[in-house]
Amino acid sequence: MSSAADAHRRRRRAQPPAEQTFADLMNGFSLDSGRKRARTSAPVPEREATPVVPQEVGVATFEPTVREPEDASIVRAYAWTGGRTRSNINLEIETLVSANDQSRQSAGILQAEHQHVVELCRSPRSVAEVAALMRLPLGVVKVLLGDMAERGLVDVHQTASAGGDTPDLGLMERVLSGLRRL
Amino acid sequence: MDYVGSRFPDFGPPGPPGRELTSAKIVVAGGFGVGKSTFIRSIIENDLLTMTALPPERAGLVTELVRIQFGRVWLDPGLALHLFVAPQWQDPRAGWNDVVRGAVGAVVLFDVMRPADSVDAMRYFEDHRIPYVLALNNVHASVRSDVKAIIHGMGIGRDVPVVNCDPRVRLSVRETLISLTEHAKLDRWRRRPGPDETTPLAPVC
Repeated sequence: MSSAADAHRRRRRAQPPAEQTFADLMNGFSLDSGRKRARTSAPVPEREATPVVPQEVGVATFEPTVREPEDASIVRAYAWTGGRTRSNINLEIETLVSANDQSRQSAGILQAEHQHVVELCRSPRSVAEVAALMRLPLGVVKVLLGDMAERGLVDVHQTASAGGDTPDLGLMERVLSGLRRL
Repeated sequence: MDYVGSRFPDFGPPGPPGRELTSAKIVVAGGFGVGKSTFIRSIIENDLLTMTALPPERAGLVTELVRIQFGRVWLDPGLALHLFVAPQWQDPRAGWNDVVRGAVGAVVLFDVMRPADSVDAMRYFEDHRIPYVLALNNVHASVRSDVKAIIHGMGIGRDVPVVNCDPRVRLSVRETLISLTEHAKLDRWRRRPGPDETTPLAPVC
């Protein structure tokens, strides 16, 4: 009799974590989980939120209907971007971005992934470098950096060839003299 | 494991605050194992980094992340030069457009033993009018003129500079990049002569 009650209690104790896990999973898929986290503005431990993206992932895993828990982290990466795959700001892979005074001042209250970018960009880094060092796909990083630039958290520096045009002669001259000095 | 301080490698000197920063890129292409990574490693400040790219469309045509290796070197306090290894397939979905768009130009490394891949890259750059130089790796001096004749005989790269390059030697890599930039400058000037642009000196032949 008492053992049955114990078992019942055990079951009840076991339930909340199970619900938690499921809720976590669902949060991973919800498109604005990033924004929700920002509203609570509780400082999130950086390491916990460090995104680890599986290296070999098929395109199919980005369909919103995917349910496998092991894909949650990369889905979460896309959740930061609100499911968008394009940025409003034109970023080439070699475009340099750097943290500015505003991001340094608001360092404590940023979303973990924004915090991460600010840390990385204390010295200027290219979009490609941010993607490589954060181990995130280029597309995700472009959207992330585009958002941060729109909110004034990073400065986006001029890329000589922005807009797909070839670099101008002035830049080529500069590259040439730079190479000669190497 | 002495793992202290920053979680990320320190990657070159920062540009001084308040200074205008800009960046440029050069693509390094060629067949498998021809020395593209070695070429870049010879000139950059730190080790190569690897970036992954995903096609934005969900068509499911490319089923793997594409890895793109690159390195960076500051040419002056405000100018970062990036060198990208061209992905093996010249496919816009494979991140190729991101790498090639807006580049100063390309270096095509050419190994006589495996010419086909290099030729594909050359054709691509010709078709898209991207200035490039052909860097002969591992070609003995006695057959260099024959190799040039064969390449020109294929109908590609008639006015493309052909240089010799050992990707392991920094000075050789630097010379190749200088040849490319001079060629690109001339090419740029020939194609779009703007009224306010100065005439570059033609390379001494």
